[in-house]
Amino acid sequence: MIPEAIKKHISGQVSIAPLAVFRFLFGFIMLVSVLRFAANGWIYELYVKPDYFFTFYGFDWVTPLGETGMYLLFLGMGLAAISIMLGYYYRLGITFFFLAFTYVELIDKTNYLNHYYFVSIISFLLTFVPANRYFSLDVLRNPSLKREKVPAWTINIFKLQLGLVYFFAGAAKLHPDWLLNAMPMRIWLPANADLPIIGSLLEYTSTAYIFSWAGALYDLTIAFFLLWKPTRIFAYLTVIIFHLMTYALFQIGMFPFIMILSTLIFFSADFHQKIIITLSKLANHLPFNFRTSSSCRKEEWKLNKNGTTLIAGILGIHFILQLLLPLRFALYPGNLFWTEQGYRFSWRVMLMEKAGHTTFTVTNPKTNKQWQVQNYNYLTPNQEKMMATQPDMILQFAHFLEEEYQKQGITDVKVTAESYVTLNGRRSQPMVNPNINLTKKERGFAHKEWILPFNENQQNWFRNLQE
Amino acid sequence: MLQHKTPYFSILLLFFVVACSSSTNPDETTNFDRAAMLENYGNNIILPAFEDMQSAVNELQTAADNFKTERTTGQLENLQTTLKQSRLAWQNVSPFQFGPAESVLLRASLNTYPTDTDKISENIESGDYSMESISNQDAAGLPALDYLLHGVGGTNEEILAAYTTDPNAQNRLDYLLENINYIKSKVDKATSEWQTSGGDYIGMFLSEDNAGTDVGSSLGMLINSYVMHYERFLRDGKIGIPAGVRSAGTPRPVTVEAYYGGYSAELAVANFEQVERIFTGGNSRGLDDNLEALNAGDLADEIQTQIDETKTALEALNDPLSQQIEENKDPVLTVFEEMQQVVTLVKADMTSILGITITYQDNDGD
Repeated sequence: MIPEAIKKHISGQVSIAPLAVFRFLFGFIMLVSVLRFAANGWIYELYVKPDYFFTFYGFDWVTPLGETGMYLLFLGMGLAAISIMLGYYYRLGITFFFLAFTYVELIDKTNYLNHYYFVSIISFLLTFVPANRYFSLDVLRNPSLKREKVPAWTINIFKLQLGLVYFFAGAAKLHPDWLLNAMPMRIWLPANADLPIIGSLLEYTSTAYIFSWAGALYDLTIAFFLLWKPTRIFAYLTVIIFHLMTYALFQIGMFPFIMILSTLIFFSADFHQKIIITLSKLANHLPFNFRTSSSCRKEEWKLNKNGTTLIAGILGIHFILQLLLPLRFALYPGNLFWTEQGYRFSWRVMLMEKAGHTTFTVTNPKTNKQWQVQNYNYLTPNQEKMMATQPDMILQFAHFLEEEYQKQGITDVKVTAESYVTLNGRRSQPMVNPNINLTKKERGFAHKEWILPFNENQQNWFRNLQE
Repeated sequence: MLQHKTPYFSILLLFFVVACSSSTNPDETTNFDRAAMLENYGNNIILPAFEDMQSAVNELQTAADNFKTERTTGQLENLQTTLKQSRLAWQNVSPFQFGPAESVLLRASLNTYPTDTDKISENIESGDYSMESISNQDAAGLPALDYLLHGVGGTNEEILAAYTTDPNAQNRLDYLLENINYIKSKVDKATSEWQTSGGDYIGMFLSEDNAGTDVGSSLGMLINSYVMHYERFLRDGKIGIPAGVRSAGTPRPVTVEAYYGGYSAELAVANFEQVERIFTGGNSRGLDDNLEALNAGDLADEIQTQIDETKTALEALNDPLSQQIEENKDPVLTVFEEMQQVVTLVKADMTSILGITITYQDNDGD
């Protein structure tokens, strides 16, 4: 059935140390993220203040829980992050964290970030593994829980997930605009020309090309260099340099730090054991200690047959989806960056500079009167900015407007949108067919034929931008 | 294990060698001095706008004091003139609602219109109001003065009577003076916050730390405030809303900026000229030069052309604008359409090329 060589990476028993450290660091960085989110006032700003939220198709039932509800949810997330970090009632903590975090993520498309999606996936995977069976308060509470060995899959699923993220992010960069035009780096780097030391270098076009190619090369290869022991330490240094650079140059939030900590999982068990010893020494100053040296009754953690089948099934489906989702764009006609059909959930990070301006015109069929909508009466500046470049959000807002006027007693309005969008430094052009009544168009995963083509022939991708 | 390190080092080395060689051998660099552009904005456009507003309001207050001691049509006319000067000066300040102006709520305090005449009359009669409260914003500021000096009577003689023989004359005069004091305190506060001698916001605005394009940067704040002003308070506030663009096509002439004074179009032209000045940087470095340095000269030209076309359409409007809207609103709608095209070019194309961020939130590049 499964060859021995592969079996070893699935069911072979390995040290639990990397998994325990991964759990600890993930909990820690999530705690920092939740605190930062709250300290920036974003709970209010993003989930209490707006009047309208762009839900995901199929998840329209996900709504904010009101002011108190949202603060409590984030408080719960913070406590869950502590529970994950210390391994204290871990199963409960990680399950709550996964559900709460994903719920918040689904409230408003505006705030979609690949790194939030990544956090959702990692917390989902963490619910299946015994990451609290070592170096945790749970083991302290109940020493019979302690294990020193786990099947290899419990660690390797994280390496696989990280590898997929990097590889797809790299594959997405194999794109004419990225490689041949150095876009959007050519816009983003000069914008940082005021930075000390490297600032002046960022003004050169050649720098943008170097960054683009180095970035693509890094994403495509880094997972392999991390897997291979001889190159691992250098690869990890590159991880640190690369992500700190993105942190310095772009407004990318916690993502660099999440990646820097997560990729430690590629290191050996001995290395992680050292980390645990160091952390335990620090913990000796606390009123409790982890007593990692105490022996345990059962060394290995094993699932029963039914549990194995169930988890194997779930993880199998998960990774098949992970492989297919980033490729789904191929099913849609047109230019992916333009239509954004199949853009999300595909690890397409920092690939385009897109900005737009959309004006909605409403026509009352009974009086034939026309008027324009003040988007800013309903949307925050950020929602408006995000909507302006994403056709599915434009459609959602048009449907929302139809409902709004229905409430005012104006039934069967016609809503059209005039949207101008600029992509990677090109001049803005209309994105949505301005003659189409959007209230008559269904939401969904079908191709939106009302999006105007980005260009007549794809050759334009290869033309140099305005010199 | 040396053989395995070699590829790593050669890749990293290559990276730095190429990066450094480009510095000695310039290929194509933007080489634009953003700090010099900001200095031009801060010292030659923004700060003078606040200082001019401050002196205009000082003259307004002097004229009001003279009117208080000598209630004649002559002094009333003088007061009306100084009000107009203040309102014109305001047009140059209004695009800069960030930093000090934002923290004192300058726009909402000084220029919330249409003004609520019933509330003003009620305040005058009862004497029970708080000029500075948020709920009183539509009964205070420049639009309230517009009503108090132009709208409380059909002719200047009738207006004068409201301050002399009317039973509420003294209350009305008190309200007028208190409103001017309120305007002055707000303007003084915002101006001194900007000045080096006061809060030295200009120092922060021109500091190296804020010379970037990220959210808290000076350019980021300036452009965001600029675009928002243009869209909401010039295009919509001064033109679109009165012409009925936002009210299901029904015109609302009463909502023009200086309804009682009748010089709404003149104010809109002044405001638009400031919008243009912010784009060109006046006689010195501005956003258009920045675009040119970023190889987007044709975009700069197109914005300039569109600005010129809009200005021509705007200058063709007649005051009183409310009357123009009632008689023939088509030219007003034309101005709105022209202004709309500037929005797209500035809000989408320009900010994108300049790499301006509009939000504090994390972002992984769409």
